[in-house]
Amino acid sequence: MTENHRTPHATLPAPPFYRHIPIAALDGDALLSLSRRMKLSLSREDMLQVQAIFTDWGREPTDVELEVIAQTWSEHCKHRIFGATITHTGPEGPETIRSLFKTFIKDMSERVFARKPGFVISAFHDNAGFIRLDDRRAVCLKVETHNHPSAIEPYAGANTGLGGVIRDILGAGRGAKPIGSLDVFCFGPPDVSQAGIRGDDVIHPLGIMRGVVRGVRDYGNRMGIPTVSGAIQFDDAYIYNPLVFCGTAGVIAIKDIPKEVLPGQLIIAVGGRTGRDGLKGATFSSAALDTDSHAEDQQAVQIGNPIEEKKAADFVLAARDAGLIGFITDCGAGGFSSACGEMLSEGGGEIILDNAPLKEPGLISWEVFISESQERMVLSATPEHLEALQALADLYETELTVLGKADGSGILKVRHHGEMVCELDCGRLHDAPVRHLRGHFTLPAGLPLGGDLPCDPSADLRRILSDFAVVSREPIIREYDHEVQGNTVLKPLAGASGDAPQDAAVLRIDGSHRLMAMTQALLPEWGKTDPKAMGRACVDECFRQLVAAGADPDRIALLDNFCVGNPEDPDTLGALVESVKGLSALAEAYGAPFVSGKDSFYNYFETDDGPVSIPLTVLISGMGIVEDASHVTGASLRRPDSVLCVLGTTSAAMGGSIFARTNRHPALQVADFDHVAALERYRRYHQAVTQGWILSAHDIGEGGLAVALAEMAFSGKGGIEVSLDSLPVEGTVGRAARLFAETPGRLILEVSPGNLDALTSHFAGTAFATIGRATSDPSRMCVDWGDERVLNEDLAELKSLWKNGLTPYY
Amino acid sequence: MEKRPHALLLKYPGTNCDAETARALEATGFATTILPVSQLDRDHLEGVSLVVFSGGFSYGDYIMSGRVARLITEQRIASALEEFRDRGGYLLGICNGFQILTQMGLLPAGSLVHNTSGRFLCRWAGLDKRSDAAPLSFLPDHFELPVAHAEGRFVTADPADAERYLAEGLAPLTYTDDINGSFAGIAGLQDKTGRVFGLMPHPERFLHRADHYDPDWDGDAQWGWGYHFFRSLHAAVSASSPVPCPA
Repeated sequence: MTENHRTPHATLPAPPFYRHIPIAALDGDALLSLSRRMKLSLSREDMLQVQAIFTDWGREPTDVELEVIAQTWSEHCKHRIFGATITHTGPEGPETIRSLFKTFIKDMSERVFARKPGFVISAFHDNAGFIRLDDRRAVCLKVETHNHPSAIEPYAGANTGLGGVIRDILGAGRGAKPIGSLDVFCFGPPDVSQAGIRGDDVIHPLGIMRGVVRGVRDYGNRMGIPTVSGAIQFDDAYIYNPLVFCGTAGVIAIKDIPKEVLPGQLIIAVGGRTGRDGLKGATFSSAALDTDSHAEDQQAVQIGNPIEEKKAADFVLAARDAGLIGFITDCGAGGFSSACGEMLSEGGGEIILDNAPLKEPGLISWEVFISESQERMVLSATPEHLEALQALADLYETELTVLGKADGSGILKVRHHGEMVCELDCGRLHDAPVRHLRGHFTLPAGLPLGGDLPCDPSADLRRILSDFAVVSREPIIREYDHEVQGNTVLKPLAGASGDAPQDAAVLRIDGSHRLMAMTQALLPEWGKTDPKAMGRACVDECFRQLVAAGADPDRIALLDNFCVGNPEDPDTLGALVESVKGLSALAEAYGAPFVSGKDSFYNYFETDDGPVSIPLTVLISGMGIVEDASHVTGASLRRPDSVLCVLGTTSAAMGGSIFARTNRHPALQVADFDHVAALERYRRYHQAVTQGWILSAHDIGEGGLAVALAEMAFSGKGGIEVSLDSLPVEGTVGRAARLFAETPGRLILEVSPGNLDALTSHFAGTAFATIGRATSDPSRMCVDWGDERVLNEDLAELKSLWKNGLTPYY
Repeated sequence: MEKRPHALLLKYPGTNCDAETARALEATGFATTILPVSQLDRDHLEGVSLVVFSGGFSYGDYIMSGRVARLITEQRIASALEEFRDRGGYLLGICNGFQILTQMGLLPAGSLVHNTSGRFLCRWAGLDKRSDAAPLSFLPDHFELPVAHAEGRFVTADPADAERYLAEGLAPLTYTDDINGSFAGIAGLQDKTGRVFGLMPHPERFLHRADHYDPDWDGDAQWGWGYHFFRSLHAAVSASSPVPCPA
């Protein structure tokens, strides 16, 4: 540590650099107005509890202490709505749910952990959950949202969104190595007219999209972490409140996962300096947006510097390998306050704010302690390791500073300029007041299925292939370095032509013969009618895509990210409850536990005409273990003479489908499916993969069978000639549903003729059918039903519609 | 006593292809050391046969790519790299490393500027071998490698210079299609000694057959073209006399 990193005393801020805030005498209204004035985002009940705590202690809080409590109890950090007691009335009648998180995520997942000993190595308490890759290594995945910052400052918001989740991985265990990223965006349609946007400073979706993509690009590419997976959804409701999910996967030696802060260890900050950028991001993210947000909350959006983070990352991984790290975490929301709080909340210790290297002089105490300046990590280490840590910091040219020391007192003490500016018994802060909320949901009765709706197959297929929901993401994917680290075996665009879509990304892991698959699913359109079915379908789609790409169905773990409007609105909360029930039950049935998750509320925008809320948006991301490189299976046609089979049952319900949406059919029934049969098929499919019988496989998802067939043929290796006659169906299923229904649980398989008999007997007793074959004419896609040729399409034309759909906008 | 030729890979803040480049070097027979540039001094070149500059964004490349890396390197070891080359040492620059070698003036004069699209570009590119070069000897006349760059467009003050490099065998590698606006389609350059080579494509990302985007790629049963690139370089380095220690 070098003296010149310290803030010189000449720049000591003019007193007071902290102050006491008298609250003992205030009533509820006055407390609430204080919370608003200080932008604490604490409710009346929260403030009353704070008052009670300090009355017990017989003193008034300092501003630093109030800020620490506000960060600790913010929705962003504490997830208080997922912990709330909810009085819910749904299709199953009235009930009281004590913590959605505990009931449906944690308890469920722990039951799965018990069924699969040794698979999940850690979940829910560290920065990311780990699953076992092999005897020595574990992989992890974490997904975060950065919605409000990206609405106000798309480039910087997305830039630091990715930077933040990368640090989560660096701070998972005693430092995991980031190996791949995913990004999922929800935007307004890029062709919306500016005049149609209500709200003065709202940025047009094109500006949001370009800024967000470049923000992700410039951080991920510079960090040298391949961005390998992603998705984009477009909906008018996202104009005002776009969603930006950033996720990163990591790998670590299992021995490096346990972490502990021991009394006597030094608390050390590494990486970037602390400044006024990113003040109050955690509390800002826990409130709704309005026009004023664009003007007033700029300070909450941070500035990214990926090279600073790259240097810190090189340092962390080297320090971990040298055994120098006791505990490590990142400075995310809440800055030092949450990182040091996490490290010292049990054992206690003292932080000297004067030691923190600053970007600018004159920061007052609470600013230093809660600033969310980027690229900072905090770790603990024994004093004897300090010299070796400093040598590594010098080697990788990153700044290292001792902030303080763990002391076993149980008290979090913060000093600044010789004065105690914060002294909190964190034991009292663990239990924020439990919120009480109401939820309500009614499933609309008597909705039509939609499967026999009028259908003009050729026109419908072309419209769906050129819909923003389906068109190729190539212009964006090419801006991301998805091959750095040299391990991206199944790339986001692949197949013989190198530009066909895939179901999942598969990464080789250095030193292991096993690989990791990652993908994600979100279906907000489904949730508008049936959030529970949406939850089920998201889990199924994510799981199915991982299995399709070669992952072992018994070694898949999931992440749940929820973006929701106003939780105080019972209909909004009721829909969330239903979705959670749906995804939880299916994840348990599939044996795919949740190992990490995050939620983001208040995703609505106050216009002059009232709030515009996002649709309930649930992102299910997943990672799966691929046993051997030979199991990696792409989604693109490989032979001109192969046989095409369909696995899974098609039903007539078209609710939430792109066909229904683009035909403007309101409220149709959303598909349900037999998940027990689906899981059995996935298991048998995986056995077929291990036998080497599967040339390629593609999930039937958005756009249905016709779109999936076309996408497979976009590799250019062959044409398509299939019949819908033998398609396994449930009930009466018309032309529209056979071609365009999005029933979960289905895959298309490409098989060599020589393996067909073996495969057919392998799938005996399941919904499996041969529907046709690949042909040697790569320009034709023909689909028959009965005596009618329902599709006879030029594949080059279809591919051009699909491939160029986003090009004019990005 | 280590018999394998020694490769020294310089790691700048922001260098991010060091691990996979070292993996490729090791796989083809080089003993490889990754050296953070904060430690670099002239002594590190002792016993080294090949100095490698790998891909990444040295110092962020916020100003002209490779420029800060060049200034820092010169500050630390002045003209030691030229002397190393003159003693018979080899230098390889990949992507950002190509940009750095170009900035250092160790390759034929020119600049690597923003792609004509103005965008970062991650894709695979067809490449043509236009003349012999140390890392290309075991490669066919036409092959593919992945590219990933925002500033990969090679330009010369006079466009005729680029054509001249091609004619003189100084531009052994060109793109089959115009992907970034490079003059004469130049993807890789070598100097007149044949011991300094730079290219924008990433051979280290196509070490294994399975790295190809097409699962039915029919090039090689086990390895990718990148393996043959490094293997060629290894053969050239091994065949030349050992680099004497600096005086």
